[in-house]
Amino acid sequence: MKCPKNIHMIRSLAVLIFIAALTLLFLDRMLKNSRMETDLDEYMPYDHPAFVFSDQAEKLFDIKDGILIAIENKNGIYNSGTLKKIKDITKKLQKTEEINKDDVTSLYTAENIMGTETGLDVKDFYNKVPQDEEKLNQLREDVRNNEMVFKRIVSENEQISLIVAEIEDDVFSLEFYHRILDLAKSYEGPEKLYVAGVPIVEGTLAYLGPKDMQIMVPIVIAVIILVLYFVLRSVRNTILTLLVVLLSTIWAFGLMAMFGIPIYSVSTMIPVMLIAIGVADGIHLYSHLDLFLFEHPGANKLEAVKDMLKEMWKPVVMTSVTTAVGFISLLSSDVYPIKYFGVFTSFGVMMAMVFSLVLIPAGIMVFGLPKRKAHKEKSKEDNGKLAYSFADWTVKFKWIVISITGIIVIISVIGINKVWINSSFLEKFEKDSDIVQTDDFINQHFGGTNTINVILDSENNDAFKQPEVQRIIDEMQNDVESIDVVGNSFSLADYLKRMNKVMHGDDETYNVIPDSRDLIAQYLLLYEMSGDPDNLWKVVDYDYRQANVNIQLKSDNSKEINRAIAAIEKYRDDFEKVSVNINYAGSGYKALVFTDLILEGQIQSLLLSVVIIIVLLSLMFKKIKIGFIGAIPIVITAIISFGLMGLLDIALSTTTALISSIAVGIGIDYAVHFIERYKIYALESGDKNITIKETMHHSGRAIIFNAIVVIAGFLVLLFSVFPPNRSLGALVSLNMFTSFLGTVTIMFLVLYKSDTYFKKKRNNNED
Amino acid sequence: MKLGNVITLTLLTGVLFSLSIFAQENLTGRKIIENVYYRPTGDDSKSDLTMTLINSRGDERVREIQQFSKDFGEEEKNIMFFLSPADVRNTSFMNWSYEEEGRDDDQWIYLPALKKTKRISSDSKSDYFMGSDFTYDDLGDRHPSEDTHKLLREETFGGEECYVVESIPIEDDYMYSRTITWIIKDKWIGLKKEFYDEDDEHLKNLTVEKYDKIDGYWVITHSVMHNIQKDHKTIMILKNVNINTGLDDGMFTERMMKRGI
Repeated sequence: MKCPKNIHMIRSLAVLIFIAALTLLFLDRMLKNSRMETDLDEYMPYDHPAFVFSDQAEKLFDIKDGILIAIENKNGIYNSGTLKKIKDITKKLQKTEEINKDDVTSLYTAENIMGTETGLDVKDFYNKVPQDEEKLNQLREDVRNNEMVFKRIVSENEQISLIVAEIEDDVFSLEFYHRILDLAKSYEGPEKLYVAGVPIVEGTLAYLGPKDMQIMVPIVIAVIILVLYFVLRSVRNTILTLLVVLLSTIWAFGLMAMFGIPIYSVSTMIPVMLIAIGVADGIHLYSHLDLFLFEHPGANKLEAVKDMLKEMWKPVVMTSVTTAVGFISLLSSDVYPIKYFGVFTSFGVMMAMVFSLVLIPAGIMVFGLPKRKAHKEKSKEDNGKLAYSFADWTVKFKWIVISITGIIVIISVIGINKVWINSSFLEKFEKDSDIVQTDDFINQHFGGTNTINVILDSENNDAFKQPEVQRIIDEMQNDVESIDVVGNSFSLADYLKRMNKVMHGDDETYNVIPDSRDLIAQYLLLYEMSGDPDNLWKVVDYDYRQANVNIQLKSDNSKEINRAIAAIEKYRDDFEKVSVNINYAGSGYKALVFTDLILEGQIQSLLLSVVIIIVLLSLMFKKIKIGFIGAIPIVITAIISFGLMGLLDIALSTTTALISSIAVGIGIDYAVHFIERYKIYALESGDKNITIKETMHHSGRAIIFNAIVVIAGFLVLLFSVFPPNRSLGALVSLNMFTSFLGTVTIMFLVLYKSDTYFKKKRNNNED
Repeated sequence: MKLGNVITLTLLTGVLFSLSIFAQENLTGRKIIENVYYRPTGDDSKSDLTMTLINSRGDERVREIQQFSKDFGEEEKNIMFFLSPADVRNTSFMNWSYEEEGRDDDQWIYLPALKKTKRISSDSKSDYFMGSDFTYDDLGDRHPSEDTHKLLREETFGGEECYVVESIPIEDDYMYSRTITWIIKDKWIGLKKEFYDEDDEHLKNLTVEKYDKIDGYWVITHSVMHNIQKDHKTIMILKNVNINTGLDDGMFTERMMKRGI
């Protein structure tokens, strides 16, 4: 009797040591090789036609996002102090390693093409800082008369001036951002300085999310530990359950590091998934153990473990496999980080399964049966009272349950129609955060912090020297600028109008597109001779076959961008008549397309995973009917989740869209455990009434424990300072709750009504 | 701005100074550069310039220009007419530059589609010449007194005995921090020039591919300026060069600009 026990002990210890050793290896790999990928462009599917096109256009026209430094002097910028600061900041930025010298634009670098009585004057606005009143006034006049600068580089109230430094996508780092902030700060007083721009918003976001998670995740885990302890009532069980989650997370990230795959921001969702799913296995196992010990008070640990494994290995394996397959369906996404997310979450889920089936029994063998707090006096009836009455109640009031579910589903479906996608980065920040405030400030006074590029192209060389083409562009710009979110627009047409006006002695009536193609060509030649031709190559290509119209927007909200695009699209026909095509480019547009792609991919993989799960469940339970019944909680959870987002006007984004995967992962867990129990009790008892009561008592209990633990943990995220993490917390909690409720109510009822496992039994009996 | 020197360096028209051959031994950097700058260019010249601009993507644009220049002693006048592309044909540009120190060039442009001549004034010496990679200074307008020159070494380059001279601007804010020029010893022709930007990073390379002796003067007929940072190139090729043909003074007037070729 003692000998086999020892063998079990040794075996268990060996297993524990083996796992510990491998974990250390993965941990080592993870610590040495993991790197965060903060460049959001790395997420983009490069081979998608919209991206290929945009990337080409970005290269051709040197389209880059700009960091904006605004310098404000309440007494006006036209004094030698402020002008000197503009010059000094410009020069410092030009000397910054990350910034190309030619990519800095300010009043100091801008060129002023002016018309005079007799001709044309090309000058810098200032070179040496003007000191006397007369020169300062002259500068003010020059700026006012140049609409290519006024309201673009100098604000209308003449108190603010912009310095724009365009940078490459991969340049941004927090350290760089802080250097720019410090640079700006060193010029404060009496002027105020502001730093904004797309690279800063995107860059900060890429750091802020994970950073906030670093603070929040330990708190989430602490709360989960507490609630887990409350549910399991054993320190040891709590630790082992957590260990399962922790180890599977380390293994998943360790494997990622071994393959040299960086940690993307979606990857930070992997531990989230593994917490929600990994905890479940432990809870179900311990819950079963608990009930077994309750029913067999004298059993020793070997018997208890044997029974636990015998009864539970199947549902644990089934839930894990279906969940893993559900995540694998994310491979259908176009976006690599999401593919990785799917694969490594799957791996983590499978590992959580292995650890649950190995660590928990091994733990019991090594450390003995959990000591339970004394409440053993309660009878079995007492213990299961709530579950029993819940089962009875649900069956009794089934029509109420069904109609409430029906109403909720209908309302949700209405809500789903209102779901919209938002690719905005800015709206992920608090409204009162520095970043949002600075952005607002600059948007109030200038054209806008965001840009979309309308790329026009033609088959014919010199197409954009034609007056009729330029006139459509001009008209389109006027039209788009009338939308309140569009601050400014800029194209070759602006140069042509400016040249035409200047060559006619600054006569405003000539601020129009010239009538003849030759004149356009000659103006352009003149501009090349007198201005900086590099400016031209930002709006037109060498052969005048492609042109770039910059539209500046005061928001990066997808609805607003789409409104601007809709206004542009109205000109598609007009452009087609002159053989010109419209396309779009730039980071804002790519983000828009990208979000659409993610959503499309999410919905595709959601549908795919539901189908896969139905098939898997049908195979596992050898009944097609069960496949469909098991999918009920998932479908309901997904519908309610999306529906609520639509109703509450929460936009879908990269994070919120991914949460539907949780719905699948968790929903399937609940359903499988519940159905498996139901099947066991049904075959055991043959009595429908006992079956529902016992199932509710056994599985229902474990399910609600699981739901409580995870909901409590994720509700903590509601206190996050980072809005996307708050919505994550709220939505995960909601999904856990609806999955739970859907399983124990509507799915339970359908299962009950379907008579599955009873007809067969009855038939068998009749045979 | 002396646009005549567009021709001076593009043409780099020059005669050999017999004196300089003997004085070679103790030449300072300054003297070498002055010899290049003051190399006689003839009284007048006429030529066809083909300017090819090539961007980093390999796109090419070709412009054909007919140019005339004449030295009037205190001033140098230059006029150029675009022959192609067709849509700018007969667009003309005239430049008068003055010996007098501090006096800006006078420039005019005539746009045939507008039928008007306009004066252009520009305050920047570092302006690029017609969208090319040459600034006006690069084309020979920069006076030797604006830089300090140092003879670095003598070496054989491209099969020619050359002086290698480094020139550093005296002015603080100039667009180049320094240039290095390879000058053929007995011809006073710059064969190669490296330009370094304000941050002392290599910006451009000028290479002379071909030079000929025409009507007794050395003329650079094929040169390439390569902006390394932008990977943009300008190729200048001169054809039909005629020197000292006795161009009429009336050639360099607004009336001639309008008349065209």
